[in-house]
Amino acid sequence: MQTANVSLEDLQGIVGEEHAREAAPEDAVDGATPSFVAEPGSVEEIAGLLKLASGAGLAVAPRGGGTKMHLGNPPRNLDLIVSTARMNGVLEHAAPDQVLRVQAGIGLEGLQERLSASNQMLAIDPPERGATVGGVVATNASGPLRLRYGTIRDLIIGITVVLPDGTVAKAGGKVVKNVAGYDLGKLFTGSLGTLGIIAEANFRLHPIPEVAKTVVVELESQQGAAEAAQAIMHSQIVPSAVELRWGPSGKRLAVLVESIPGGIGAKAETAAFLLKPFGEVHTEDGRAEILRLPEAGENETIVKITAPPAELAGVLESVSRAAERRGLEVRMWGHAASGVTFAGLSGGGVEALADFVGEMREIRARRGGSVTLQRASVELKRRAGAWGYGGDALGLMRRVKEKFDPSGTMNPGRFVGGI
Amino acid sequence: MTERRNGEGLPQDKAMTNSIGAGSPEDVGQGVGEASELAEEATVGAGRRESGKTSFPAFDTHHPPDKALIDECVHCGFCLPTCPTYVLFGEEMDSPRGRIYLMNKGLEEEPLNDQMVRHFDLCLGCMACVTACPAGVQYEKLIEATRAQVERRYERSPEDKAFREMIFNLFPYPNRLRLAAAPMKLYQRFGIGSRLRKAGIMDRLPARVRAMEALLPEVPKEEKIPETTPPAGEKRRRVGILTGCVQRVFFSRVNAATVRVLAAEGCEVVAPAGQGCCGALSTHAGREEESLNFARKTIDTFEEYDLDNVIVNAAGCGSTMKEYGHLLRDDPEYAERAKEFSAKVKDVTEFLQELGPVAERHPLPVSVAYHDACHLAHAQGIRSQPRQSLKQIPGMDVREIREAEICCGSAGIYNMVEPEAASELGERKAKNVLAAGAQMLVTANPGCTLQIRASLKKLGQDMPMAHPVEVVDASLRGEPVETLLQR
Amino acid sequence: MERTQLISTMESILGPEGVIHEREQLRTYECDGLMNYRVIPDLVVLPESAGQVQQIVRVCYEEGIPFVARGSGTGLSGGALPVESGILIVLARMRRILDVDIPNQRVTVEPGVVNLWVTQEVASEGYFYAPDPSSQLVSSIGGNFAENSGGVHCLKYGFTTNHVTGAEVVLPDGSVAHIGGGKAPDEPGYDLLGAFVGSEGTLGIATKITLRIVRTPESVRTLIAAFEDTEKAGGAVSGIIGSGCVPAGIEMMDSLTLEAVEEAVHPHYPECGALLLVELDGPEAEVENQFEQVIKICEENGSSEIRVAKDDAERALFWKGRKAAFGAMGRIANDYYVQDGVIPRTELPAVLKKISDLSAEYGLRVANVFHAGDGNLHPLVLYDNNNEGEAERAEELAGEIIRACLEHGGSLTGEHGIGEDKKKYMPDMFTADDLNVMQLLRCAFDPHHLCNPGKVFPTPRLCAERPGPFRVHPLQEAGLAEMF
Repeated sequence: MQTANVSLEDLQGIVGEEHAREAAPEDAVDGATPSFVAEPGSVEEIAGLLKLASGAGLAVAPRGGGTKMHLGNPPRNLDLIVSTARMNGVLEHAAPDQVLRVQAGIGLEGLQERLSASNQMLAIDPPERGATVGGVVATNASGPLRLRYGTIRDLIIGITVVLPDGTVAKAGGKVVKNVAGYDLGKLFTGSLGTLGIIAEANFRLHPIPEVAKTVVVELESQQGAAEAAQAIMHSQIVPSAVELRWGPSGKRLAVLVESIPGGIGAKAETAAFLLKPFGEVHTEDGRAEILRLPEAGENETIVKITAPPAELAGVLESVSRAAERRGLEVRMWGHAASGVTFAGLSGGGVEALADFVGEMREIRARRGGSVTLQRASVELKRRAGAWGYGGDALGLMRRVKEKFDPSGTMNPGRFVGGI
Repeated sequence: MTERRNGEGLPQDKAMTNSIGAGSPEDVGQGVGEASELAEEATVGAGRRESGKTSFPAFDTHHPPDKALIDECVHCGFCLPTCPTYVLFGEEMDSPRGRIYLMNKGLEEEPLNDQMVRHFDLCLGCMACVTACPAGVQYEKLIEATRAQVERRYERSPEDKAFREMIFNLFPYPNRLRLAAAPMKLYQRFGIGSRLRKAGIMDRLPARVRAMEALLPEVPKEEKIPETTPPAGEKRRRVGILTGCVQRVFFSRVNAATVRVLAAEGCEVVAPAGQGCCGALSTHAGREEESLNFARKTIDTFEEYDLDNVIVNAAGCGSTMKEYGHLLRDDPEYAERAKEFSAKVKDVTEFLQELGPVAERHPLPVSVAYHDACHLAHAQGIRSQPRQSLKQIPGMDVREIREAEICCGSAGIYNMVEPEAASELGERKAKNVLAAGAQMLVTANPGCTLQIRASLKKLGQDMPMAHPVEVVDASLRGEPVETLLQR
Repeated sequence: MERTQLISTMESILGPEGVIHEREQLRTYECDGLMNYRVIPDLVVLPESAGQVQQIVRVCYEEGIPFVARGSGTGLSGGALPVESGILIVLARMRRILDVDIPNQRVTVEPGVVNLWVTQEVASEGYFYAPDPSSQLVSSIGGNFAENSGGVHCLKYGFTTNHVTGAEVVLPDGSVAHIGGGKAPDEPGYDLLGAFVGSEGTLGIATKITLRIVRTPESVRTLIAAFEDTEKAGGAVSGIIGSGCVPAGIEMMDSLTLEAVEEAVHPHYPECGALLLVELDGPEAEVENQFEQVIKICEENGSSEIRVAKDDAERALFWKGRKAAFGAMGRIANDYYVQDGVIPRTELPAVLKKISDLSAEYGLRVANVFHAGDGNLHPLVLYDNNNEGEAERAEELAGEIIRACLEHGGSLTGEHGIGEDKKKYMPDMFTADDLNVMQLLRCAFDPHHLCNPGKVFPTPRLCAERPGPFRVHPLQEAGLAEMF
């Protein structure tokens, strides 16, 4: 098989015979089937692959654990998948310095387990199982802990990237505090593989809190949910997470507090006290099951709505109403104190879903925030667009893309504005 | 520009007529436009009263700003937010860091011209920068040296010169001041208006004269103080008291209170009859010879009495008298004596705290906002003592004022020579004073009292004001709060 | 454009009060907080609104005039050093706090607003703005934004980049863009805000900045601990961090620094070879427990005296000495040259030893004051400019120190920025490819190198502009959307 003027042998010549293959049906991305999959084992091999691909005009999709390949618009073209599966090593874990250097393909769960031996963690907890660190960076994935520790952009301190022309460049370093040069780590965070391939990344680590408790309130109303979240947000208990679960199986707000044994009791008690006005409260030891983010159902469409956190009640209400009007079943969950709400929709056609998304985007355009498709059919994505970016920096983003990837090699068409 | 400053686009003459006919100080300052608008005009804008004269090199060899002191500035900028003119204008040249930079340039290669002088003139001399400076730059010495050079070497425009002359022929002389502040208008009495009108240089004057009028209140009946007052009980100290110029004319009751409090605390108090101006106003304006003469005379006068301390109740006077040693360092006859004299000078609250209170304080259940006079807080580092003096009174609720470190705009003669900038600062201060929500304002400098009162008036407000020593006096005498609040 | 014409153009935008063009006045702007480099700008302009900034930049773009933005002028790397024949855009008059939104924990300000004002504005609501550079009472948010300023509390709370959530920026072609979500998180698209913060004014000028404010901690405990030398103090730092506690700040000062600050602000620190200042904050019970732990660790590491701040006044006094440290150097030296190297915390003893050796070798005193918790060193090389050749020797010594930091796996700068001063060392830290790739970003924002040119990078990359849609005249900018 041959795409343009690149053959499997050409790829194997770079990564070795056993590490490049023709693509299989399960390698397809949003219906686009690539020709090849290559698994480079080093930064140099990534560079070799990209140089070859960009020279030959191939379209390349980077892939880590493959857990978020559905994110973004359907690819405009796809010829080659570059998988970081083999680049899964820890380059350096300087435990006393609380700094970590890894290859991008390392799995997050395995990494956390390894770090826990030193009582440390990479303070990010996205829901997808099997995600790689590089994938987390590229998709800006996050979870409940973002309230306390921020998202991956707040943890990344250095990066090594390979540009489509094969240039290898690094930025940042392995110290937590560093302002030398531009922060390419942040630029690549959430760039969905459209600027180049993330080969290595450095992070600051955090100590694992000694003890945790989860305080849960059974909510009675949307307004109550918002007020409960506000009460915790403006308290001094420094919560690690404030999670909302709103659906047929229950309406709850869960507050995770973490501390040392001498400090946890007071935190949990304060949280319980603050939540009491909004419904029945109970406290569990540790990180309760409720904090685990729901998995998507078979045909469920998942829409991510971001808004100023004080508008939580408005978001819950508008989502419920808009879904109801279109006969859609909806459940919601989210990071209530961070302004992130997910709506899981089912039971409706593309028309209704696109309509729903349009209405939500119209509201957020006025009030601040965004509405993106996290999991949706190709049809819906084509119809509504995955991102819905309505800001005035699109021209600037295009110029960035043009500079880093003038040949249009990397994940063409998947990002905002068709980048 | 003048038209805008005089407000409502009135032609100059009309504006002038209005101001002459102004019945009360409230009429003044209505031409003050947007704060920022004024601020910028006062600084970088064109059309100022400039003489166009230049002197090169900028400084002569008689005490130029000291290069060694300039070098201590590390350009960190910590002085910027406490500098009133930087707060107003946001310009480097109107900050202490910028002025020091200009001084240095003057030493090196730049001439002394309109721009330079303008930025030196605009300094209020509040010394907030001295407090803020982590490097310990002695800005007070630098600006004083620079001002003396400016006065000596730079030729001011005629109207500017005339106005400054008028001030310095008036304020240091209590008798003239008393006359001038009498109901008749200042420039009518002195015939300045007509003189300057003839010279065709009226444009700048009205704002300044009006500012001056707005400041000066009616002259109250003078509370005379005896030349010697015996101590109550056992004598702890024999002290002299400076009665001051503005203080004597407008605030003679502060002097009277000072004498009573000192006596109550066991001091024999001498108020030398022959004393005149201490020279503070002249010193801060760079009028070197004049200031040195005032200093010498003050030393002569007080030396005649055998005093443990010389007590001052006006912040500006105290800070200058503490500097006599430095000012007269070149005078072989006076250098040593000045040093000794300066060592005896104490602010009244500073002295009271050192002495330790013995007389009984009666309760005064009242909330007071304490305003730091720059020449007390910044120039003399006296912050806790006046507060302490107040807090020693049972029932007293002493409140802080926001932006306490920023000057109220009084600053010696500043509110008369730079009325626009001063007026903005005054208004800013008045608002902060009101925000403290206290029943009365306490401050230790007559200039501040006049300035803040005038600024409050512009906002349609007023509040009782007193010197800390008056409050202590009221407490010692067991006066009711109501009496105090009538001040 | 002739200078006189330029002046009148600028005056038509800003009024005469917004344009500075007299030589003596311009000279006060010839350097920022770093006095080693001086360039007299052609003009200084003082806009008061975003619209004015935009108009100024548009004129610059059309006329090809380079420009540099400046806030309070406290930067220590020459980042706001003017360029020859260029315009200095001073944002000190844009100092309004535009919006305070407590429910969403956001404050929006103009760039000239002083860092500390933000905290003052929200303190009564129980909030504060966390990044607190030592210059916080004078440095502007715009400057903090450009430099990604750190501060003494950033070990726990993060840097400016972690606390800026949105900005309105004027791009070098005079167009305006809004980057970052502001009050809502996770804006789709590239994290241009992340790239912009800390770009040292080379990508554009921020005219509105939205900041995250943080709830004031329930309890704050502060102590100072005296040690015989920096090595022992360093041991205590490692012990504290290793215990799993994240202090709000750990600062270290050596004996020379202590001498200077004692003279400057009289904090009455104990006499010692090295002083640690440790602050913990958070919920009461947590802080109490950890504070005891910290005291124990200090004792175990041989602290000769530990003082715990009794009240806010004493806490303020502890910090006053630290925050005044740079300025205080004026007390013991005529001039100083400050470095800002970062090293992994564990390399502290080795690097301090190296600094001490270098100091002896060059015969120049080096005072050390640093954010020990995050390994950010501030060696202050003391010298006297009046002594022939001493400035050069000081700079050379500083250069050796910075190379030592890099050899130990560190960085050139932790918070002061590269600016004019450290760009010559960039090739010691980054490869040519690294620097070229960074400059791709520059080319996307500022292809004509008008915005703070010559800073950060030792050799500017030519942007190799190709004809086409990416090089439009700003007047055509409005049609930009159609092209895609």
